[in-house]
Formats: sequence, C-alpha cells, structure tokens
Amino acid sequence: MEKQKSNTADRELLLTRILDAPIELVWEVWTKPEHIALWWGPDGFTNTIEEMDVQPDGEWSLVMHGPDGTDYKNKSIFKEIIPYKKIVYDHISGPRFLATIEFESRGNQTFISWHMLFESAEQFIQVVKTFKADEGLKQNIEKLNAYLKGVRIHK
Amino acid sequence: MKARRDVYQAIADPTRRAIIHIIADEPQNITSIAERFDMSQQAISLHVKILTDCGLVVIKQQGRDRFCKAELSKLSEVAEWIDQYRLHWESRLDKLEKYVAKLKKERYGKTKK
Repeated sequence: MEKQKSNTADRELLLTRILDAPIELVWEVWTKPEHIALWWGPDGFTNTIEEMDVQPDGEWSLVMHGPDGTDYKNKSIFKEIIPYKKIVYDHISGPRFLATIEFESRGNQTFISWHMLFESAEQFIQVVKTFKADEGLKQNIEKLNAYLKGVRIHK
Repeated sequence: MKARRDVYQAIADPTRRAIIHIIADEPQNITSIAERFDMSQQAISLHVKILTDCGLVVIKQQGRDRFCKAELSKLSEVAEWIDQYRLHWESRLDKLEKYVAKLKKERYGKTKK
C-alpha cells in the first residue's frame, strides 16, 4: 500500500495539445475574463465570470450556464502565475482538484499541457462516477426530447 | 435493500484496491491476504465480501480453503468511464483551440500561418 501512496496515477488526468497560435495570444485567451467567458466549459455552455484575479491567492469565480438552464458555480484560487509559462489553480468548489497548465512556445505555435490532480483516488472515482451518472442523465434527456418531437409530429 | 454495490464502490477504498492488487496475480485465501495488512481478519473478510458483492472478486472453495480470485475484467468499466471523462476535457481543449484560431484570424488576417 505504501508504494501506491506516492503514486498519483490513479487520481490525475494529463492532456496535451499544440495550439496553432503564438504563446502571447494563448496566454491572453487564458488569462483575460472577456476571452475565457467565450470558450470555457463544455459544449453548449455559456459563462459568467464573476471574479478573475490572475495572481497568487487571487480568486476566480465563474458560473457555467448549461444548455438546459442549470447553473454550475465554480470557485478556484490561483496558486502560481508565471507569465507565458505556468498557471496553477486550486479548484475549491467540488470536485476539488489542483490544475497545472503549462505553456511552451514552439515557434508560432504553443504547446500546452493541462494536468489535473484530484485530492484522492476516492475523489477521482467519485467524479468519474458522477460524470457517468450525468452522461446517463443527458442521454435520457435526449431520448425524452426525441420522444417529445415524435409526439409533436404525430399531432 | 442494502447499499447499491458497484465497481466504483469496490475500488473507492485503499484497502480494497490493495486486496485486488495482491490477488491480481494469483488467487489467495483470506488468511494469507490478511497477513499482509495491519488489521483483523474480520475486517479483511468484510472488504472481500464487498468486493464479491461488487463482482470484482470470486470465491473458490478448494478443500477447506476459500480462495479469492480477482475478476479484473470488471475494472474495464471504470477505465471506460475515465476515458469518457478525459474526452470531456479534450472537448474543452477543442473549444480553446477553435477560439484561439478564430481570434488569430481576426487579429492577423487569413494569410499569416
């Protein structure tokens, strides 16, 4: 059990991507509320940025508005900000995780790595399980919508 | 009805994950599993009971011994949902990528690559 404790593999996600834009632009899009409001969140969501104080201990509060009208409040605290290099934030509203986003210039492109570390494997499993439940719910709603459409056509 | 048992509940506990780890290579009886832990055999038995309820462990009677065998295929259900969760975040990066591309076009025009 001890050797598993130091290992974070069972409670983390790592995504990487090369963006076809210079690092200055990518940094701006990530750190300015007027930009982040336009791309944050899952497909079909809009956002209201209530606070975005991009500095260590700065608060970041936003509300994601789901396509079905549900609001999701998110609160984070920025931990580390190194311009054009690194952003670390602690997502303190549930599910709790620490996100580290690193930026690296590759000519006119930008390599971005996005790491999310959950507090514990238990929490991570819970998140995945909740996500599974939500996906199931979403599919149910889609089914219901398809069904209602059918009903309307037959009227 | 008792609490719903599923594979997520099975692995949501470090002791249970460790038990799966121990019996993944070869089946073992409760006594030899319990020897590896700093807790009573009863406590380990309870964890094994939860694991069997969740379908992750199968008990095989061999003579007087009861061997615990791991059903690892069950774990793929979790792996599948972790993949789905990862895809969810990938799609959020897609949005960032599209937004950056749009902004770049607006600022620098179409010709600059």
